[in-house]
Amino acid sequence: MQAIKRIITKFLILMTVSLMLLSGCGEFKDIDKMVFVSMIGIDQTNDSKKPYKIILKLYVPTSSFRQSSTPQYSYLIKEGETLAEIISILESHTDKELDFGHSKMIVIGEEMLKNEKNKEILDFLIRRPDIQMISYVGMGRPNAEEILKFVPKGETALQPTLFNYFDNDGAESSYIITSFLFDFRRRLKAEDISPILPIIEIDKPTSHFIVDKSIVLEEDKPPYELDSQKTMLVKMLSGDAKNIFFSVNRENEHFVARLDNIKVNYNLKKGENNNLSLNVKIKLVGIITESKKNLSNKELPRYSKLLEEEMKEEVEQLIHELKNEGYDPIGFGLRYNAYTLPKNRMDSKEWMEAYKNAELKVTAKSSLKSTGSVQ
Amino acid sequence: MSRYYYYLILINMIANIISAVPTILLHYGSDGAVSGLLIGIMLGLAIVICFTKFFNAFPGKTFPEMLVETTAKWFYYPLLFFMAVLWFIAGVSTLITYTFMLIRYLTPDIPIMIIGLTLFVPIIFGCFMKTDRVLYAIEIVFLINFPLIIFIIIKAYTSKDLNWDFIKKSMLYIVQMPNINVVTSCIFLFLGVVNLVVFNRFFTHKQHFGLKQVVVISFIAVSTIFTTYFIPIGFHGLKSIDELIYPWVATSDSMRMRYFLIERLVYVFLLLYLAMAFLSILIHWHVAVELFKFIFKLEKLKLKGINVGNILLVALFAVCSLYLIVTLTEYQLFQYSIYLFNISSIIFFAKIMLFVYIARRLKGAGDQADNN
Repeated sequence: MQAIKRIITKFLILMTVSLMLLSGCGEFKDIDKMVFVSMIGIDQTNDSKKPYKIILKLYVPTSSFRQSSTPQYSYLIKEGETLAEIISILESHTDKELDFGHSKMIVIGEEMLKNEKNKEILDFLIRRPDIQMISYVGMGRPNAEEILKFVPKGETALQPTLFNYFDNDGAESSYIITSFLFDFRRRLKAEDISPILPIIEIDKPTSHFIVDKSIVLEEDKPPYELDSQKTMLVKMLSGDAKNIFFSVNRENEHFVARLDNIKVNYNLKKGENNNLSLNVKIKLVGIITESKKNLSNKELPRYSKLLEEEMKEEVEQLIHELKNEGYDPIGFGLRYNAYTLPKNRMDSKEWMEAYKNAELKVTAKSSLKSTGSVQ
Repeated sequence: MSRYYYYLILINMIANIISAVPTILLHYGSDGAVSGLLIGIMLGLAIVICFTKFFNAFPGKTFPEMLVETTAKWFYYPLLFFMAVLWFIAGVSTLITYTFMLIRYLTPDIPIMIIGLTLFVPIIFGCFMKTDRVLYAIEIVFLINFPLIIFIIIKAYTSKDLNWDFIKKSMLYIVQMPNINVVTSCIFLFLGVVNLVVFNRFFTHKQHFGLKQVVVISFIAVSTIFTTYFIPIGFHGLKSIDELIYPWVATSDSMRMRYFLIERLVYVFLLLYLAMAFLSILIHWHVAVELFKFIFKLEKLKLKGINVGNILLVALFAVCSLYLIVTLTEYQLFQYSIYLFNISSIIFFAKIMLFVYIARRLKGAGDQADNN
């Protein structure tokens, strides 16, 4: 027993001494040897040999928040033929290791989107394991570089303001479409739902971002832009909007309703000869927040009726427009396929034809609960 | 049934989320995966019931002991050797997949040999523990990690980015002919019960195995397999999902925890599955080690009082697994995993016949003993 104990003691001493020989983690890079990328921007150049331009927005580390309360960023910009090549060259432009693990936003320039190189961009972004699948994707207008380089007033060193627009934490606007990288990928790959991206613009005089429009992509077609009202309706129909403000102007009434309980249901039925009928049912509950005239509590049912009519008209107009142009950001095609056996499904050409000629029926039901604090 | 029995089955099912199984299932997503899964579940349940009934009839006896009593030497040595090799490969495939995953996502700067070795060392030490201690270790690690697994699964189902239309669309492929590779990899999920060949040593009392237990196991199986197959589809769509090498890593990367310390769920997922991979390999290799010990009588190989046999076995395991880790590519791993699943499901079905034979011989022997 004594002998064993002695052996164990000797062994432990030997182990402890051998720790001295360790040189630390040779393969692990310390945090001061790394620089964190906050946003990635991808732009199109005029040079056909070097079509891509990558802009990386890097955090400049500060020792404390008090020391520099205004944010500081540095930028790396490079043009080249392939994205991975550009990144590897950019790594030689900085003294530290580039870390993409904290990058939360990908901005694609407007020109780039028009040239339909999305699959190549996507391939690069997905293939790199350190780029988050939950990064936000957006389109930069006029290009990605300006969006990345723009620091709005009031931005603190804590976080770039642009993230707050999309994470539904700060701003909860129903005009902002949030598109994650994985969502962009699945829509781009699937034939029956079109990718939709928010458009990020800069409002120069007051110096802040505006994100209230969106752009719908489709293969072999130019991107299709939706203005803010249509963006809101698309978001509502996709079931993502928490609350919307909707203005009604008919029959001498002009009021704005805040609808905070929205339920949207749609289905597609196929009749003979690929005749599709598309039924959209919308249920709305809300209150009136503004009116040009005095309102009467008694007449709430009538206001609801007006709201229903207005909503029906606008939604019908939007869907007609989308299907005539052949874009499907809401995913009607996907819904149709979700209830159709594989052998009965249409191929994309037949589907496009059927979708264009689909018979649309929108029913809206709303109940306005109050006229607000005053009648 | 004892709770340890459920651990054996459950760990094999859960740990396979990171192995090649979901990749194979999703690869055949529009070629008969769903119908294949249904058939696989039924056949898998049949295997679970047969194996459990058989081993439950002879409490405390391991499979090699039974074979010695009932069959000839020329028959059982090759059989056990083959089984041991098969189970070693099953462990290695999980080890390789996890090593690849670590180097891809967590520690891209560390050489692959070192990652493989750091995983290998604790596992191999665990394998040489006594059977009951292995089970206790499994229980501790499993109980720590199980709540986190439930958390991730709840997170996945409640995420508003999970698009059920994609899931419904892929479900409708049920009308197709089942794909054989899908069936066998689904059966492989149930093969945790095969570990009873050695672990039956621990279950020394006859246990109740009735309808209730079968229902519990089928519920666990159906829900795990549904989650394994359909959740990645809900997040990434059916088309071109086979482009994703690790569908579940990509899926966990698509979920976010807005108010947690870290936003990316993928790191929680990877660390959690480190524990699961450890348990899965530990169980497989414990069985393999015990079988090898039995075949080559390793305990008797002694040199100056030191057990050389065990050291030889460890060296063999280390060399084989590290060699495979360094040489295999992801595509080869995928292909060989399909072969492994095909072979193992055929073998374990054939084994049910053998069980009938052994059970009759053993019962006959028992009756004779009673008569005398």
